Amino acid sequence: MADQKKILIIEDDKFLLKLYSDKLSREGFLVSMAISGEEGLGKVKQEKPDLVLLDVILPQKNGFDILGALKLDPETKGVPVIMLTNLGQDSDIKTGLDLGAVDYLVKTDFSITKLPEVVRKHIAIHGATTTPSSS
Amino acid sequence: MPDKQLTREETTGRITEVTSIISHQLKTPLAGIKSSLEILLSGDLGEVSVKQREYLALALDGSNKMIGLIKNLLDASRIDEGRMQLASTPTDIGALAKTVVDDLVTFAQAKNTTLSITLEENIPKTSVDALKIHEVINNIVYNAIRYSKGKGTVSVGVRRDGHDVLFSCVDTGIGIGEGDRNKIFSKFYRSPHVSALAPDGSGLGLYISKAIIEKSGGKIWFESEEGRGSTFSFSLPIQ
Repeated sequence: MADQKKILIIEDDKFLLKLYSDKLSREGFLVSMAISGEEGLGKVKQEKPDLVLLDVILPQKNGFDILGALKLDPETKGVPVIMLTNLGQDSDIKTGLDLGAVDYLVKTDFSITKLPEVVRKHIAIHGATTTPSSS
Repeated sequence: MPDKQLTREETTGRITEVTSIISHQLKTPLAGIKSSLEILLSGDLGEVSVKQREYLALALDGSNKMIGLIKNLLDASRIDEGRMQLASTPTDIGALAKTVVDDLVTFAQAKNTTLSITLEENIPKTSVDALKIHEVINNIVYNAIRYSKGKGTVSVGVRRDGHDVLFSCVDTGIGIGEGDRNKIFSKFYRSPHVSALAPDGSGLGLYISKAIIEKSGGKIWFESEEGRGSTFSFSLPIQ
């Protein structure tokens, strides 16, 4: 499909990775996965996804470090990133949005059934820009 | 070599640390369980029978309760460590109370309780953490409904009281006995009467609520008569 959007999920928990990837695949997205920060960074550069779903607690590099690196690199800074994590303190959310995430979702508070809709919304809004917002 | 004897503070610190680690570790598999149940319930993977839906909904309800309990444990451990962080944004307490009441109407109906709200007009906003104050109001109103008996009433009100905004929640529930009054805001405390009526509480809601209100510069208190009902109130300064 020519307009099939590519989503990269960076998540080290295999159970959640399967749930998110299956859900987005069923909704017509082309899904790629990475289980560590380093792998994720490499895949963003290599695969140029339309959007990245990024966990925070990850092996090697944490999600905030990855987000910072993506936003510093001219090649990747335009890729919208949604944080999808269980760290839900105001300070965590602020860190994510300040670093340039377009949204911040807390896994236990957010319904997976709404994930495709949120992803579509951010691809439509932030496909060309990276202005922060919160759902 | 045996560990040196820990002081009371060190023991509390270690318990808090372990609670925090375990709570975080539990959230990941719970997020997966909750998401799986939501997908099944949505019919995404095929049609779900009425009976299957009923069981899945019960399992989802159980998962959400566990998530709520973990959040409370994390909040309590942050309070114990003095690490609770509160945002500060101009907030309409009346609007927050209205949201809580609207969300709990169905629960009140199921408990045969009449839930109402009275809001004074033009109350100035207060600078507080809206999400946390929402949590406090939800705790108070939810408890009032949960511990109601027979055909009860729960009346929520928000008004200005001098330099403060005053929230109150009056119920006709079981009330609080003399022996429980000085323990009601204590961590993990649950009255035996309350445990018999609603066995699934954690005894953390009012402990956390008190910490949130006091850290926001306000006060929280209650008046009660056993067998006739209680009034829980808090005040927050208008800034």
